[in-house]
Formats: sequence, structure tokens, C-alpha cells
Amino acid sequence: MRMRLTPRHLLASLLLVAVALAAAPAALRAEQGRVTVYGNYYRERSTRVLQPGVRVTVNAPDERLTFGAGYLLDAITSASIAAGAMQVTGGDRAFTEFRHEAVGTVASRLEAWQLGGHFRYSTETDYIARDVGLSVGRDFLQRTLNVALAYTYAFNRAFALRGPVDRNPWCGGLVPTTECLDDNAGNKNLLQVHYLSATYTHALHRQVLAQAAVETWFARGPMDNPYREATIPNGFPEAHPRSRDRVSLFANLRAAFPKARLVLDPRYRFYTDDWGITAHTADLRLHVRITRHLRARVRYRFYAQSQARFYRDDMIYTGEPDEERSGDPKMDDFMSHTPGIQLTWHLDGLARFPRLAFLEGAWIQATYNHIIFDYDDTRSIYCTDGGYLPKRVLERRQDLCGARLGTVAFSIAF
Amino acid sequence: MLRSCRKLHPGRPRRCRRAVGLVGLVGLAGCVTVGPAQRGILAMPEMTPASDAQEEAFYGHVEAAREGAAGGHGAAGGGCGCG
Repeated sequence: MRMRLTPRHLLASLLLVAVALAAAPAALRAEQGRVTVYGNYYRERSTRVLQPGVRVTVNAPDERLTFGAGYLLDAITSASIAAGAMQVTGGDRAFTEFRHEAVGTVASRLEAWQLGGHFRYSTETDYIARDVGLSVGRDFLQRTLNVALAYTYAFNRAFALRGPVDRNPWCGGLVPTTECLDDNAGNKNLLQVHYLSATYTHALHRQVLAQAAVETWFARGPMDNPYREATIPNGFPEAHPRSRDRVSLFANLRAAFPKARLVLDPRYRFYTDDWGITAHTADLRLHVRITRHLRARVRYRFYAQSQARFYRDDMIYTGEPDEERSGDPKMDDFMSHTPGIQLTWHLDGLARFPRLAFLEGAWIQATYNHIIFDYDDTRSIYCTDGGYLPKRVLERRQDLCGARLGTVAFSIAF
Repeated sequence: MLRSCRKLHPGRPRRCRRAVGLVGLVGLAGCVTVGPAQRGILAMPEMTPASDAQEEAFYGHVEAAREGAAGGHGAAGGGCGCG
């Protein structure tokens, strides 16, 4: 399907929703809840993603029972063979694919306990994702300490496009095509993921909040790309293992310095899995209150990961039927640097004016991040034209490439 | 505990004592209960992990497509109940 969805269209849509909300009758706004409309933007060498969405929460009648719903449209314009461009266009030309995602949530706060549940459904031409989750949390020490547990079960179906419309089940590169197409193959194109997490949040001081989390994933099913080839120049399809166990440890400290109007927000994440990838992520965010209603945030994120055990830098594989192969850049060892800035304008100041009282609790937010990927040993494969980096930098470092990441959001209470 | 550092880590007793001290400090901080009237700063959006949820969901999605790792984007939405 071809369609042009530009940032101008996205902005116009957001403005339309904002005007509609502002014009909503007072009776509607007497409810307690919040609507947030947003547009996310991602751009790199061969792919552009525009992602408008809306999220609504309604307290019925208060925090003891809260319902939520969200819808998101992912418009992915890509010329990448790995995204299926060859199958859809018949050549390496740009095409636009849409992903629709809907989510429903329910949450309840009953004295010291919090209960939550959600169901998410996402569909696109060659992938259907569904997940259902439950969470339970409890406050301790006069609500200064919270422990929460969450479980999510995802059951996704993978397909491979054979043309603009036709598709076949995709069971992963390790399963022969004939076996996957066999009606008796059962659920071989089903990816099941069990996700478990435990989060500890503690107000250590009236200006310091600490958070720590452990997350685990147990995935079984196809986890490779049906369009990507793992050898150069052409050859064997990608074949990742059909099981993956992952663990992530996360820590975050938020310290406020009221006199300086600053909040220091450092984060660290350690990750490891049984594919041989180990990763470290450090993210430092600095929040500044410029005025009472305007705040800014600057951030720098550093990410480094090791290589998956089956990934080969030379991309030369034997093609044995049970050989694990990958042409995926995220299986290689690399680093990335992400500087970013965010501005949030709280509109409570405007709510004092006649006819603008509905802006009480509303805010507008704009975020921009620039990612610089640093592939050490695959320079000609992933970074052929750099992407949004100065020419003089690319002349010296051909193994760098960049991506842009932006968000505009508007949120209003009703 | 500090004496046992000499037995456990005879080569680096000072480092061991520092580690024990640090754990002790964190433990003591955990004993302090911030009263309801003292939680104004903790209720600010920049101090509230839940206020990042929308943004973190997008980062999680992008990172899942570009990085081998995952997690750290607000696991269970745990808050401190400071609001």
C-alpha cells in the first residue's frame, strides 16, 4: 500500500485533535481522566517511521478503578530489503507499510495495593502480535516504598511476504520451508514470550527516589528476519535460534536540588542473554525548571553490546541446515551515543484566563534525540551513507551512522 | 563485620570496609520514612517514574529494532505513591 504521510500531516492531525478537545463541552470535561495525543518520528538511512497515537485514561470514579485505551499507527517507509522491499515492490524501492496497535488497560488502587491488567493487539502485513499482562504492587513504609511484580504473555504470528499481498507462514531460518508450509506444522510460526519483572521503588529522602528492577524474558519461536540474508553478497537466509532467555537489571536514582531547580536522573542497565549478548547502558538525564511552567531536560545515553555467538564479522557461513546465521546489525558488537533534549510546557498558567480553564493540568512536550551508531568492524555494510552526520566526520569515520528520533505530545486532563 | 573483612579479603580489607559502609548507608537511608507533608518534591513529574511511561514505550520499541538488549523502560510501572 502506498501513501505519503509527512510530518506536516502528522502535525495537522495533532492540532485537529487538540482543537476538538478544547471545544469539548464542559459536561464531558467534568469526568476525571486524561487524553494524550502524540506523534513519534524516527529517521535513519533507509527507513522513516511516523507514529501518531492517542491514549485515554478514565477514572471511574477515582483511582480505585481506572480504564485506559490507546491506539497507535506505525507508518514505516522503507527501501530496506530487510523490511521486505524486494517482495513488495519487486525491486529495492521505497514502500510504506502500516502497523496498527490497540491497547486496553485496567488498573485499580485499593489502599496499599495496586492491580493492573492489559491486552495489546498489533497487526501489520507480515506480523501479528498480541500480549496480555497482569501486575500487582504493594506500598510499604507509609507509601514510601513500593514493590511491584508483572507478568506478560505474548503470542505472535510471523509471516513472510511473497508479493504485495500474498504471504506464507514464517517459522524461522532453521525450519525448512516445506515443513513450515505443511498443514501439520502446527504452531511453528508462533513466537511465545513469557515476561516477568520485579520492581522496587523507594523514596530514600524527601529529595531522593531510587528504583531497581529485574526483568526476564523466555522466548520460543521464530526470531529472525525472513528477508535478510546472512551471507555476502547473496546466499543463505538468516537463521537465528528458536529460543532465547534474557535477563536485564536496571537501577535509577532521581535526586532533586530545589535551590538550583535541578533534578539529576542517572540510570544504568545491565543485560545478558543466552545468545551471547551482554550489554551495558548508562543514561544521564538532567531536568531543569527554567520557569515554574517550563522545564527542559538534556540527556546523554551510552550503549555498548557484545556480539552474538553465531554472528560472523566476515559473514561467511557454510550453509549447513542446522547452522545459526545472522545478517542483523543488532547481533554485532557496537556502541551508540544518544544526546537528546526535551522541552515541556505546563499550561496551568494559561488556565487562569477566562475560557482557558480547561487547560488546567495540560502540557505540551517536544523531544529530540540523535543516535550515533558506532560499528567497529562492519564499516561498508551498515553505514554506507552515514545518515545525518557532518561530512568531515564521515570522511574520517566511515563506520559511523546516525538516526533521528523525535516526539511531539499534547496532554489534557478532563 | 568490619573485622571479618580482614578474614574474607586479606589483600583488600579497606575496599571491603568501604563496600560494607556503603551498603550500611543505603540501609540506613531505607529506615528513614518521608512523611506525607514532605513529599512535594517527590510528586513533581521529573521525580515520578510513571510520567515517562509514554516516552519509554517508544524508546523501548526503537531499541528493540536496533539493539540486542532490552529492558529498563519501566518494568511494572512501580511508583512510590508520592502523589
